This record gives sequence, C-alpha cells and structure tokens, in this order.
Amino acid sequence: MLPDDTDARLVERLVARDERAFTTLVRTYERRVFALLLRMIGNRAEAEDLAQEVFVQVFKAIGSFRGESKLSTWIYRIAINLCKNRSKYLRVRHSGQEEQLEALQERAPLGDAKGANVANVERPDEMMAGKQVERIVQTAILELEPTFRECLVLRDVEDLSYEEIGAITGLPEGTVKSRIHRARAQLKELVESALGEKIA
Amino acid sequence: MTDPHQPDDDDRDSRAMRDLVKRSLSGDAGEGDAPDLVRGVQRRLRKRSRGKFFADGWSTAQNRTSYVLVALVTLLLVALAYFSLGPMDVR
Repeated sequence: MLPDDTDARLVERLVARDERAFTTLVRTYERRVFALLLRMIGNRAEAEDLAQEVFVQVFKAIGSFRGESKLSTWIYRIAINLCKNRSKYLRVRHSGQEEQLEALQERAPLGDAKGANVANVERPDEMMAGKQVERIVQTAILELEPTFRECLVLRDVEDLSYEEIGAITGLPEGTVKSRIHRARAQLKELVESALGEKIA
Repeated sequence: MTDPHQPDDDDRDSRAMRDLVKRSLSGDAGEGDAPDLVRGVQRRLRKRSRGKFFADGWSTAQNRTSYVLVALVTLLLVALAYFSLGPMDVR
C-alpha cells in the first residue's frame, strides 16, 4: 500500500493520463485486488478477468476521484461493486460456484484438524485434516450471503477498519459490525453442519 | 438493519471465527501465485481506447532499461559522429 502523499502524486499523474503511472498503480494493487476478488467470487479465472476490469474502470474514472478517501479504499469500492454485478450475472447463468459442501463429506473430524490450528505440524494426517477444514471454510464462505461475505472478507482477511469497510460498501459502521457478526454466525453454522460437530 | 448490540471482535467466538477465516483464506490467493494483470489491463485499454492508450512499445515496456539503453546508444553515436566529423580544420 502506498503512503498518502505518494498516492496524491500518483493520482495527479493518473489524471494527466500518464501511462507509466498507471502501470505502477496496477503493479502496486494487483495482488490485493485479485486476492479480494478471488475470496469474494471463488473462481480464479473470473477473479482475474474481474481484476483486470477493475483497473480499466480505475483508469476511466480516475478523474472523478476526489481524494476524500484513500486511493486503496476507492479501488476496493470499484472492485466490490464490479464483483456484485458479476455475481448477479453468474447466478443468473447458474455458473457460480460448482463445489458444494456435500463434496467434503469424506473428511476427518475437526478434533484431528490440528494442522489448521498450530504452526508446527508433525503428522501428515493432521495436516491433511487441517487442509480439509480450511477447504470447508473456504467453500462455506462462498455460501454466505454476498452482502455478509464482503464485510467479513474485508474485515477478517483484508484487516480493514469498520470505517474503511463502511467507506467501501457505503454502509454505516453499525451495519458493518452487524453484518460481520451475522456472517460469522452463518459461517459457524455452515462449517459445523459440514463437519457434523461443534467448533470449540 | 443495525444490530442493537453493535458486536465487535472482542468476544471469544468472534475471535475464534476470525482466526479460522484468516487461516483458511491466507493460503488460497498467496502473493506468489497472483497473476500478472498489467499486460491484460493494457491490452483492454488499448482496444477500448482504439489505440489511444498503451499503443506503443514505450508505454507497455515492463521496465525502464530500454529507455536507458537507447539513450546511451544515441549519445554514443552522436559523440562518434562529432569526433569523426566535427574537429576537422578546413583551412
């Protein structure tokens, strides 16, 4: 992430249609934008396509960036909006996520999943169990309501503040907190249902 | 749809779920396997602007080495031309 004064200089160059500045911008934010979209949409090819579209929109709309929020927040907002539109489109086409939680029925019990919880994994079977739990969580996140998922990912994965999430999603801070709380509750239910046991 | 309790990350359940989410999603889009988006973005902009942006090798070059190289070669040629043609006394 670029510091604010660097952001301001970069934006000036972008507004002046400096192509090299734009390449710098893409290089700076591509990984974070791609990671966010992948977590939101769950499909690598779609996430890559969408991430490219995000930067095209940034290039087109940079003149309307007023500097009232951080540049990264503004880019995230574009990413989240495009992601919502794409998700709707994919849902209509029934080509959203393909993997269902049921596909993970052949899993080890959560109690064996030490690999998901500790840094030092000694046994391969424990590591496998840990990986399975991670996979279940990844799939369960895609099952969440999109409005809940975006708040949860921005908070728990991107480590953004409630204020920043509010600026990105256009929601009041209280609603952001509420959605994150509900998302975690939904996620817990989904994971427990897939595992067939309670999460401690 | 604001929750009256305004929950935050401090309660034990939230912390546990947050850790689980973080762990589970930290590896799926690691820095190492993120795709290179620059060329794709430049291609889209070139196409949509009908060649106005990112239309030549200068704007799409991945680093500045080529600039420096061409500048040095040009300077060298100018210097060679100067010293081979310039200092001749015609008197």
